[in-house]
Amino acid sequence: MKLLNLDYKKYTLANGLNVILYRDNSLPLVSVNIWYKVGSGNEKKGKTGLAHLFEHMMFQGSENIQKEMHFRFIQEVGGSLNGSTNTDRTNYYEKVPSNFLELVFWLESDRMGFLTSALTEEKLKNQIDVVRNERLERYENQPYGLAWEILSTNLYPENHPYHWPTIGFMQDINYTIEEVENFYRAYYSPANASMVVAGDFGPAAEEMIEKYFGSIESAQVPSQPEFVRVNLEKNIFIEREENVQLARIYLAWHTEPAFGKYDASLEMLADILSGSKNSRLYKNLVFEKEIAQDVTAYQHSGKFGGNFFIIATARPGADLNIIKDEILKELNDIENNGVEERELLRSKNGIKSGFIHSLQNIDALANQMNYYSFYLNEPNSFSYDLNRYESVNSPAIKDAVKEYLTKPYVELRILPQKN
Amino acid sequence: MIKKNINRKIKPEPSGEIEFKLPPVKEFTTSNGLKVLFAKKDKLPIVRFLLLVDAGSVYDSGKFGLANLTAMMLDEGAGGLNALQLIDEIDILGSHLNIRSDEDTVYISLQTLKENIERSFEIFSKVIASPHFDEKDFQREKRKALTRIIQRKDNPDEIADTIFELKLYNKENPYAHLPLGYESTVNSITINDIQNYYKNYFSPQNSALIVVGDTNEVEIQNLINKYLGNWKNEPAEHINISPPLRRGSRIIFCHKKNAMQSEIRAGHLASKRNEGNFFARHLLNTILGGQFSSRINLNLREDKGYTYGAFSRFNYFKRQAHFYVSTSVSTENTGNAIEEILNELQKIREGITEQELDFAKSSVIRRFPSNFETYSQVATNLSGRIIFSLPEDYFDTYIDNIKNVTLDDVNREAVREILTEETLIAIVGDKNKAAAQLKNFPNSVFIYVDEEGNEI
Repeated sequence: MKLLNLDYKKYTLANGLNVILYRDNSLPLVSVNIWYKVGSGNEKKGKTGLAHLFEHMMFQGSENIQKEMHFRFIQEVGGSLNGSTNTDRTNYYEKVPSNFLELVFWLESDRMGFLTSALTEEKLKNQIDVVRNERLERYENQPYGLAWEILSTNLYPENHPYHWPTIGFMQDINYTIEEVENFYRAYYSPANASMVVAGDFGPAAEEMIEKYFGSIESAQVPSQPEFVRVNLEKNIFIEREENVQLARIYLAWHTEPAFGKYDASLEMLADILSGSKNSRLYKNLVFEKEIAQDVTAYQHSGKFGGNFFIIATARPGADLNIIKDEILKELNDIENNGVEERELLRSKNGIKSGFIHSLQNIDALANQMNYYSFYLNEPNSFSYDLNRYESVNSPAIKDAVKEYLTKPYVELRILPQKN
Repeated sequence: MIKKNINRKIKPEPSGEIEFKLPPVKEFTTSNGLKVLFAKKDKLPIVRFLLLVDAGSVYDSGKFGLANLTAMMLDEGAGGLNALQLIDEIDILGSHLNIRSDEDTVYISLQTLKENIERSFEIFSKVIASPHFDEKDFQREKRKALTRIIQRKDNPDEIADTIFELKLYNKENPYAHLPLGYESTVNSITINDIQNYYKNYFSPQNSALIVVGDTNEVEIQNLINKYLGNWKNEPAEHINISPPLRRGSRIIFCHKKNAMQSEIRAGHLASKRNEGNFFARHLLNTILGGQFSSRINLNLREDKGYTYGAFSRFNYFKRQAHFYVSTSVSTENTGNAIEEILNELQKIREGITEQELDFAKSSVIRRFPSNFETYSQVATNLSGRIIFSLPEDYFDTYIDNIKNVTLDDVNREAVREILTEETLIAIVGDKNKAAAQLKNFPNSVFIYVDEEGNEI
């Protein structure tokens, strides 16, 4: 599809910074999106959560930017901004009216190259408090909020990069200035980063990039964790009582990393199981039998592994054993008989229009180009990616189920407290 | 490499000014009385339809949950297709059909690729004009809604919103109640109630259709004539809603055993959307708590570290409005956080600075183009025009209206709209750890409530 073929320019500065430029003048907006190749997967035992805490410190000012001013300068010009951390990478992004592109380069280059002189104990202590509150608000005080942490600690051995949650264990969220500085020196250098500039900009952008980023020195590119395939030897069963109204079951299997052989097949399988009212598990459990309030299946894949999850919340009084049996029966049926043409078509058409809809936002587009660049080393992979889904067929889904979903899994049940 | 001459101390200047043109909006009314707003946007082969029906939960008339359940029933079978067939066709087209409702409005939206516009619109029309309302489907959806009501009790943020709005507006006012309803009221709803509600409120005269995307007026007219031409119901008379009573300061507390944080709402009733100086209020809130770098967040998060974030807003319903601060704080800082919130409310009444006003104006004015980036953003902006009956040139004059606000205007709004003497504070948390911290607020009435806001 022509729409999905983006005309971009890619080059590398002398210091190793990867630059990707994509022009689109349809609105007077420009987006800058930077990925640093560091995530919670690069952390060490006892110091989990450092990559995410560090992301917060990047908003606390740098040599030439006072505390709070990064946010203030961007919001003053009507821009939006944020950052996010996952297991594999940390990203930072701004979207501003196009006449303020240089402001963004100034801010991003200052914290890429000159952060340490602005780090203080006071700022660090403040952001440790903020992140502990973030953990409380988003996980500990949410119903079922600790489920992900329980699943990943049981799926992965202690030394695997996906063993701990990105936010970090509560007892680990406490770091010294030296640890923060060392983390910065190791991972935050131009050679370990990739910057996409997308939207309305002119030929001056390249000069500005050289001006602001060209003089930043690169540290040696840090080594990355080794990829190790993980298998469970037998099923792991965990049951917990929590302050919730309804019981919920989680089933989690090991699958394969992003863009692996069956990655797209597993994503389509997830859609066929739970993506719509006609999907197999939704129709069976929620619509017909009414034993579940909701059901979700998905394939989550990263650099160092992948997992397939199925999660169902029981209706009041419904039996999790029956829900689990129905789920396994459905998987068994697909393993033996595959899926129907109409199921595939429904999924493929949804995915195809999803690709077109995703082109609306210039900042989402910029992030997607960095995503493709990171995993596939090619920012313009929209057509390639869509084709991965379009070429999935029933035998591929059958094989994916056989290969991964007939193997041992982690089962977590969260039950309402009895009293 | 040549060393570039760069002084990082100096903030770069903008490169000229940008040019932004609003998408032109065409307006017309069809022969059966449906108002249509159309904004052409043809960057991508997408068309978005959004039907607004003036049929939100304010018309529940005691059967709380009725509007919501009616909305849930629209796509559970319509125009000869059962629930599964209907959504199967939408999915096969790669389209998205979505229905939701709030206090004022039922929203039915369709996003489709241009190539599938006709069949997608046909199904969209079936949902609007010929829902089946079968008893079997109704019982199923009702059970789903009842379970959803049970699940709300798990979420501290939802509980906080619920008890805050109930106590703020007070039972007699329809805005006090959850669109989702309560167990007893949803249980009492019958399929006849749904049919009557639909007949009374779902009519072309009581709706507006917003269209954004790669299409044209003629195509829209033809689609409406062909698929919605026969849609008619006699609109019922809209009920009158008397304004809620203002009260003094109160603290309400919902106990959640072993809660890890205290969820806080603090606020009071405010002027309606079209009363007083909306633009001055918008700038006032931008300074006080509308964004990350506003006073409240910088204090509670970036200075004190009590929370992951704290914000404030004016919440505008069609016929009422309120102002509130919202945050979630570590339990041991419940009292401290409330004290800081009240300090900020008191402080803003004492006036803002010229710099703060310039900052807020710049932020709001320069953000304007990015509010029109996606198809759904454009549709949402136009829906604001419909719901609040804003003038046709609202967006054309928006920037000038913001520019014209003076320091005195904002300071006047601060004194008029931030009412420290009648602040309602709602807290969801562990009373064994948090309640004792509230003794510092002796002038307030203190009440314990359950998850739905009933006094206990």
